[in-house]
Amino acid sequence: MTTRKEIISTLVLLLFGAGYLAYCTEYPMDTWNNPGPSVFPLFVGGVFVLLAFGRLIQSLWSRKTEEQQENVQPTKRPLRVSRPLILVGSFILYVLLIQWAGFFVSTVAFVFTSSRLMGAEGWARPLALGIGVDLFCYWVFESWLKLSLPKGLLF
Amino acid sequence: MEHGILSSLLITLQPVNVLACFIGAVIGTLVGVLPGLGPAAAMALVLPLTLKLGPTAGLIMLAGIYYGAMYGGSTTSILVNVPGEPASVVTTLDGYAMARKGRAGAALAIAAIASFVAGTFSVIALQLFAPLLARSALAFGPAEYFALTVLGIVLLSNMSGRSRIKSLLMMMIGLMLSTIGMDPVGAVERFSFGIVSAQGGVSFIAVTTGLFGVAEVLSFMTEKKKEVELAPVKFRELYPSREELKRSAAPMARGSVLGFLIGLLPGPAATIAAFSSYGFERRISKRKREFGEGAIEGVAGPEAANNAAAGGAMVPLLSLGLPFTPTTAVLLGGMLLHGITPGPLLMRDQPDVFWAVIGSFYLGNVMLLILNLPLVGVFARVVRIAPQYLMPTVLILCVIGAYGDNSNLFDVWVMLGAGVAGYLMRRYGYEPAPLVVGLVLGTVMERSLRQTMIISRGEIGGLWDSPLSAIILLTAMVAAIVPGPLRYLRMKLRARAMQITRGR
Repeated sequence: MTTRKEIISTLVLLLFGAGYLAYCTEYPMDTWNNPGPSVFPLFVGGVFVLLAFGRLIQSLWSRKTEEQQENVQPTKRPLRVSRPLILVGSFILYVLLIQWAGFFVSTVAFVFTSSRLMGAEGWARPLALGIGVDLFCYWVFESWLKLSLPKGLLF
Repeated sequence: MEHGILSSLLITLQPVNVLACFIGAVIGTLVGVLPGLGPAAAMALVLPLTLKLGPTAGLIMLAGIYYGAMYGGSTTSILVNVPGEPASVVTTLDGYAMARKGRAGAALAIAAIASFVAGTFSVIALQLFAPLLARSALAFGPAEYFALTVLGIVLLSNMSGRSRIKSLLMMMIGLMLSTIGMDPVGAVERFSFGIVSAQGGVSFIAVTTGLFGVAEVLSFMTEKKKEVELAPVKFRELYPSREELKRSAAPMARGSVLGFLIGLLPGPAATIAAFSSYGFERRISKRKREFGEGAIEGVAGPEAANNAAAGGAMVPLLSLGLPFTPTTAVLLGGMLLHGITPGPLLMRDQPDVFWAVIGSFYLGNVMLLILNLPLVGVFARVVRIAPQYLMPTVLILCVIGAYGDNSNLFDVWVMLGAGVAGYLMRRYGYEPAPLVVGLVLGTVMERSLRQTMIISRGEIGGLWDSPLSAIILLTAMVAAIVPGPLRYLRMKLRARAMQITRGR
């Protein structure tokens, strides 16, 4: 990972820690005799911010060292980031779909889509997989373990 | 001690427990065989199912997955040069070399026997160590527990073997997540932002399935995996020669002891144990040149070591309630979900559970030996399952795992969030395992801190007043401070050595 990415990720963590610490003040501290609900979160948040700050300094220091060494070339690795993003998008749609179409109908659709997204060819196998997964879930979780999976308007 | 062994075996031999052990061992072997999906993810996926089985059978199943994965990992290392899990990486060096020479069967048999021998050794050692440690830990009050969690966090910050500060940051996020919901002393609602489902806290299952399962699928999609070639193996080829057995005996014994001792320490113990054993065997061997070309010692030693380390890691978990590896962290989460608090009181309060888990190790080792030798070809073929069919199935199991915990879709959203976070964490070099440890230890840490303050009437010194807690906190302080100057000294010495070499 490049130092720039390291700095950005640490800054995100630092901001997160600061936000957490700020929100902790909403809760009472009470007294040392009987510490309130904000004491532990404040302690943890404080340590977190200190650590993130330490990491930021480390990253900035290593960036400085990198700049001094002129021959440092960042190694670039081709990553296919768009496909995980599409998968996350279809997963969000899937969870929203569960609420009105029910678990079983939406699962067939999601397994079909995600399987195709991951490189499965044709439609027969992904569809068979979707139906197979549905049947397996129904048999194991609904029938055997008596877990009530979300029902929608259809099933 | 005798009572322990007998009672543990009697409880384990109940039909439901035997079945749970068998299912766990099979799932574990399959998980060990499949590259990518680790035992921690599999255990997280199976957690809701174990809740239906009850604590004893449920924990036996989880333990079965844990040691089954150690067995399964070696199969693909030897046959296809693809380690199923990190601890089996070193087995590829000589195991795959043996397979190319037509000795795949012998390598697999030696790996299974070594795993069995080491597994059995570690169970016996665990039975000796854990009660001793637990007995001394009975003197623990809130202050000592707080000190212990601090020590655990400091020691476990080296769990990933990478950046300590990054591990600590992840642990702190775990601790932060543990503060969501009702606070453990005053029952005040915190960080739930008005969401009713969040009032009970963050679901451990949702977080772990997201961090390990969903993140694994997302990571898979960014990387192109190669097709694997399977080395053929026939049942009659499984018998190692007398010479091979003779050469393997001592490395197995050494690997068992070394692995168990390394397992007691925090960090990626199984992997370190396997590499240490390989290095040690190579150093003392008369056939140094054979290493890397198919030396049987290079299979027997590391395989024994990684299995013994799995047993060793159970000592701090069962006796102190401290998980030293990601897998034992999930196992600890499973115990807490079943209403079992591992630690010094476990043996006294729930001896059935304690001894049944230990007994399942004996039974599991026998089952795995029987399963792994004749069915090795079947398990090896599992690696050929196309990921485009396996990964969607894993995602659905994650959804059911997260949903089944509390029967609400909020946990599925939490799982998705944890999955995306886990994926980003991997990309930015942050390990998810310390976060799980923080999430598990958070409640204990907060409760013991606040109880100590109440008992000591607001005196901060109450945290280190007792000699035991003072010793533990001092150890934590030393463990936190010493590595920094040591690293600096090492760097200085290396730089000086390089200067001297250049000067010459």
